[in-house]
Amino acid sequence: MSLAAITINFTLNGRLVSADVKSYHNVVEVLQTQFALFGARESCGQGLCGCCTVLVDGRPVSGCLHLAVFLDGAEVVTVEHLATAGLDPVQQAFIECGAFQCGYCTPGFVMMTKALIGQHPDPDDEQIRDYLSGNLCRCAAYPEIVNAVKMAARNSKAGPTG
Amino acid sequence: MMAFELLEPASLKDAIALIDPDDPEVRPIAGGTALMLMMKAGVFRPRRLVSLRKLGEAFTCIAAVSAGELTIGAMAPLSALEHSPVVARGAPVIVRTLRRLSNVRVRNVATIGGALAHADPHMDLPPVLIALGATISVAGPDGERTMGVEELLTGYYETSLAKNELITQLHIPAQGEARAAYFKVTSGSADDWPSLGVAVALRAEGTIVKSARIVVSAATAKATRLKAAEAALIGAGADDKTLKKMADAAVDEADIIADLRGSASYKRELLRVYAARAVRSAMQTSGASL
Amino acid sequence: MATATLSGGQIGRSLPRLEGRDKVTGRAEYTHLMQLPGMLHAKIFRSTVAHGRIKSVDTSAARKVPGVYAVYTSDDVLNVIAEPYYGPAFHDQPILAIGKVHFVGEPVAVVLASDPHVADQAAQQIVAEYEELPAVFDEVEAAENKTLVHAELKPAGTFADLKHLKGRKGTNIALDFGLRRGDVDKAFASAPHVFEHTFRTQKVLHLPLEPHASIADYRDDGVTIYSSAQGPSFVRTEIARLLGWPENRVRIKVPYLGGGYGGKLYIKLEALALAMSMLARRPVKIAHTMEEHFYTITKHPTTFRIKSGVDQDGRITARKCEVWWNGGAYADIGPRVTQKSGFTASGPYDIDNVSIDSYALYTNLTPAGALRGFGIPQLVWAYESHTDMIARALKRDPLEFRKQNLLRDGQPQATGTILKDTAIEKVLDRIAERLNWKRPFDRGKGAVRRGRGFAVALKAVISPTTSVAIVNVSADGSTTLYCGTVDMGQGSDTAMAQMVGEVLNMPAESVRVVPRDTDVTPYDMGTLGSRSLFHMGLAVRLAAEEARAKIGDLRRELGEPEGSNAPLADLFRKKYGMQAGNIVGTGIYKPDYIPPDANGLTTNVTPFWMVAGSGVEIEVDTETGHVRISRLINVADVGKPINPKIVETQLSGASLMQLGFSMFEKMHIDGGQVTNASLADYKIPGMHDVPPVMENEIVDTYQTNGPFGAKGVGELATFGLSPAIANAIDDAVGVRLTELPLTAEAVFRALRAKDNKPLGDE
Repeated sequence: MSLAAITINFTLNGRLVSADVKSYHNVVEVLQTQFALFGARESCGQGLCGCCTVLVDGRPVSGCLHLAVFLDGAEVVTVEHLATAGLDPVQQAFIECGAFQCGYCTPGFVMMTKALIGQHPDPDDEQIRDYLSGNLCRCAAYPEIVNAVKMAARNSKAGPTG
Repeated sequence: MMAFELLEPASLKDAIALIDPDDPEVRPIAGGTALMLMMKAGVFRPRRLVSLRKLGEAFTCIAAVSAGELTIGAMAPLSALEHSPVVARGAPVIVRTLRRLSNVRVRNVATIGGALAHADPHMDLPPVLIALGATISVAGPDGERTMGVEELLTGYYETSLAKNELITQLHIPAQGEARAAYFKVTSGSADDWPSLGVAVALRAEGTIVKSARIVVSAATAKATRLKAAEAALIGAGADDKTLKKMADAAVDEADIIADLRGSASYKRELLRVYAARAVRSAMQTSGASL
Repeated sequence: MATATLSGGQIGRSLPRLEGRDKVTGRAEYTHLMQLPGMLHAKIFRSTVAHGRIKSVDTSAARKVPGVYAVYTSDDVLNVIAEPYYGPAFHDQPILAIGKVHFVGEPVAVVLASDPHVADQAAQQIVAEYEELPAVFDEVEAAENKTLVHAELKPAGTFADLKHLKGRKGTNIALDFGLRRGDVDKAFASAPHVFEHTFRTQKVLHLPLEPHASIADYRDDGVTIYSSAQGPSFVRTEIARLLGWPENRVRIKVPYLGGGYGGKLYIKLEALALAMSMLARRPVKIAHTMEEHFYTITKHPTTFRIKSGVDQDGRITARKCEVWWNGGAYADIGPRVTQKSGFTASGPYDIDNVSIDSYALYTNLTPAGALRGFGIPQLVWAYESHTDMIARALKRDPLEFRKQNLLRDGQPQATGTILKDTAIEKVLDRIAERLNWKRPFDRGKGAVRRGRGFAVALKAVISPTTSVAIVNVSADGSTTLYCGTVDMGQGSDTAMAQMVGEVLNMPAESVRVVPRDTDVTPYDMGTLGSRSLFHMGLAVRLAAEEARAKIGDLRRELGEPEGSNAPLADLFRKKYGMQAGNIVGTGIYKPDYIPPDANGLTTNVTPFWMVAGSGVEIEVDTETGHVRISRLINVADVGKPINPKIVETQLSGASLMQLGFSMFEKMHIDGGQVTNASLADYKIPGMHDVPPVMENEIVDTYQTNGPFGAKGVGELATFGLSPAIANAIDDAVGVRLTELPLTAEAVFRALRAKDNKPLGDE
C-alpha cells in the first residue's frame, strides 16, 4: 500500500461497498464523506464520549480512533441501519423514556445499547452503567438512559415497533 | 494528519524487517487506539506504520497450558481477555480489572501487546501483571527472548524493547493458591485515569503471608514493585500493625510524582491507605479465585 | 388568576420530544455535520502567549502546502471589514488578533482548504513571533489595575439593559455594579455578631458534545450563515453591523444544537466565518474540535467576599457582598452576568441593610460568558455556604436560621422589587422533609462518616427582553409555529407546540415548529437565562390567540352558528372556493422593566423570579477525602409545568452538570496556558458519577403572569448543589471548604489541617 488512495471493500449496513481512502482517514470521516452517513460523529476525538460508535464485526468501536483501512473485509453497522423497518426497540425506548436532550450523543448510546442487549439480554443496573460508562451525555440524561436500556431489553424480545 | 505508508505483513519476520529501528517515523501499530491519539494530537507523525493485525491466529490465541499457566497472544484485544473463560479461571483479577479499564470500545480494539508496549504508567494491567509475575516473549531480528513485564517497563512511556522488537506473547504463571487484588483510585470523576493504582498478589497459609508482590502504578513514572513493603508483609499476618508497617514502607520507597490528578503528598497518603486496603482485599479473596 | 383557559388538553402533558425520532435515528441536523457545495474548511492558528505584541506571522510555509486554498491574517480581514471587532457588551473582540494577542488560544491566522487535513497540516506550519507583555490572570489582582488587558474599552450599545456601559481607559473593570440599601456600616457597628468569609470558584466550561460550528456563504447581495448559535437574531444584528448592511441581507439558519448551556450565545465563530467567506468568495466552514472550546468561552471564575451582621435574635441585619468576576480577555456577556446576578447577590433573605459591589474584570485568559445560571451558581455557592457557617457558629439549626430570615412574597428583595409568585419557603420545606431533617441521621462509622446539607436560591431573570412569534394556520387547518427559540435539548419546540395546541385545541404533535431561520422566524432576544418558556411562551400564546380570534371572525363572517365546530379546512374552502388562504396570528412580548437607579435599586427588576434548592446526603472517606453523594434531591418552583417529564429531565440534567462543576471539573492553567484542554484530562460527569438516588420535585405553584402559569426551568437545578454538598461535608466531618471544586484532595487536606497535621504542598 502506498501514500495514494487505498481501496477497501466491506459490508456497510448489509450492502457490499468499496471505498478509496487515505491511510490517515478514520472510520467517521469515511462514513460521512463517502457514504453520507452522519449518525456516527466525532466529538471528543479521543474515544471517550462514544458519539462516533459503530459496530465492526458486531462489536462497538470508536470510529474516530479506528483507521478506515482496518474496515477492509469487515461488517460495519451504523445507527442508520437500525430503523430500516420502523424504529428499533432501542430507539423507541429512548424516545419513550426521554433518554436524551440535545441528541448529539444519542446515536452512540443507541448503538452501545444495541450491543449491550446482544451480550446481556437482561442487563442489571451495574451492567448497564459499566457498559455505558464510556459514553458521555453533557445534558446528563443518564437516569433516563438507564431506564431506556431496561425498556429496550424488555421490548427487544418482541421485535421492531413504530 | 498527512498520508503515511500503511503496511500489513502476514508474517512476524516480515513485520520485523519492515521496521527501521533508526527511523522514529516508522512504528508498528496493533489496535491503534493509543497511536491514533498521538497522531491526531500531532505528537507522532508517521512515515510508515506496520500493522500487526494480519499476523494470524497464533498472535490472538488465549490458551491455558500446563499446570494452569496462561499464554496470551499479543494481538488479543483486551475484550478477549475480559470474556475468556480461561483467563477467568486462571487469573480472575484480570477480568475484574478489565471491567473498569477504559471503555468497552477501546477494550474491543486495543491489544494486550500494544498496551504493554505503550508503557503509559496510568494503565491498569501492567501493575496487575507484574504482581502475577507475568512474562512476555519478544521477537526481533536476532530472534526471540523473554522477560518479565517488570523488566519491560523502564520509565515514563519507556520500555526495554528495541525499536524493531515486537511483543509476541504474554505468559501468566499458574497462580495456584495465590490471591490478588487491584485498586484503581480516581480522584475526580469515577471514570478517569487513576491517581493511583495498587496491585497485590500473595500466598498465605492461614493468616500468615508466605509470599507477596505489591505494585504501585499511575502515581509513579512506571509500574513499580514495592519490595520493602513486600518484605514487611512476608512472614507476618495481615493485622493492622503489620499493614501499617507495610504501608509506611510502601510510601517510603515509592517515587511518587504530582500531576493534574493530585499532589505527590496526597498520592502518598492514598498509597498508604490503599496498599493496606489492597492487601486486606486480597486476603479476603479465596485462594481459588484470586 | 384562574386556570380556566385550559381547554386543549395540551398543558401538563408529558409528551415525548417532537424531534425524538430524528435524534434516535441520527437524522437530526446539526451545524457541525453540515456540508455546502464548494465549501472550504478553516483551521485556526492560535496564540501561544497570554499577552503580547505580534511581531510577525510567517505563513509562507503554510501557503506552500499542496491543497491549501489561502492563509489569512487580520491584515486580510481589515481589507474586507473596516472595524472587525464584535461582542454583545463591548465591541472588543477582533475577528483575528490585530497587533496584539490577549490570551493563549486567541485566533491569529486561518488556513482554508477543501480537505480539512490539509488545512490542519498547513496551520501547523505557521510561525508567529511575539513580544511578550506582562499578563494578569487573577480577578482580584486585575481589579487593582497594574497590568492593563486593553488600552481602551468600547461599549457596544446593542442591548436595552446594557445601555449604561461606558467607554473607559486605564482600567480592567468592564463594569462595576453597586447596590446600596440601608446602611451596612452602621448595622455592622451595632450587630452583636459579624461574620466574613471569602469564597472562590474555578474556571470551568460548557463542553457541549457538538463543538462550535459556523458556515458562512457570502455573496455580494447577501450572506447566509449556518451556525450552532443560541441567539440567531443577535447574530444577524451583529453580522449586519460588521457589514454595514440592512438586516434583511443577512440570513442566520440554526438547526438543532448539540448542547449549548450558554456557550453558543451571542456571537462566537460567525464573524470569523463571514470574514473568511468574504475573502475566499466561497462557503467556509469552521468546525471546532473539542480542544478548541477551551480557547473560546468558559464560565466566570469568581472571588466573593461576603460579610453579614446578625442581631441577638438571629436576624441578619446587614450583608455586604463584593464579587469579582474573571471575564477573561474579552467581555462577551460578562457585564450582564455581573449586573444581573449582582441584583440577588445577598440571597433569598430579608435583610434591611445591603451593600453589593460586583465587578466584571478583564484578564489574559479565555473569555468568560454565561453558563447555565448567568452567574447565580457562583453567588449561591458563596451565600449559602456563608449562611450555613453563620448558623453553625451561632449553634442554630441551619433550616430554622434560614426560615427566620427568608424572603417571602410581598416583601421587597434587595433591589426593592416586591417578591411575587416565589415558593422559596415551600421549596426549602420540601427539601427538609425529603431529607428527614428533623429526625436523627445515621452518621456512619469507622472511616466513613455521613452528612447532609441543603441550599436554596433566588434569581431575577434577564430583563427587559423581547420575543416575537407567528402562528400560521394553513388552508387544510394544519398549523405552523415560527419562533426563534433555539431547541438545544431543553425541549422548547415541544413545549411551544403544546402551547399552540392548547390555544387552538389541537394535538401538539400536529403543530409544525419551523427550524430557526432569520429570513422566516421573527425576532427573539436569545435562548438564554431560562427566559424562553416565559417570554417566547407568552409571545406564542398571544400569536395563537390572535389566530384563534381570526378563526372566530371567519366563522362569523361565513355565518357559522355560535359554537359550531366545523373543521378549519371547511372554513377555508367556503371562504376561498378551494383549499386556499392562511390565517396568521402574531404575538410580541416584552416585559416592563425599570432600570436600577444610582443605588442599584428598582421596583421592577424582573418579570418573574426563579426559585430552587438542592439537598444531599453524602459519605466521606476520612482516610482519603473521597466524597460520595448517596442521595441528591432537587426541588424547584417552575410555576405550572407545561411538560412535566421534560421539566424533570431538565432538573436532573442541570444538577448532574453542576455536580461536575462542584466535585471535579476544573481548567488547570499554568502561566495562562490551559494544561488539560481535552476530555482525557478535563473530565465531565459520566454514568458512574450519578448518585444512586436522585429525586426531583416540582412544587405546586402557579406563575400568575406566565404562559399557562409556567416559568423558566433550564438553570434552576444548578443553583443550590455546590453549597449543599459543602454544607454536608461540614455536617459529616466538620471541615469547611470555601473553594470549588470539592475534590477528594481538598477534603483530605482540610481534614489534616483540622487535625493540626497539614499536608505538604509538593
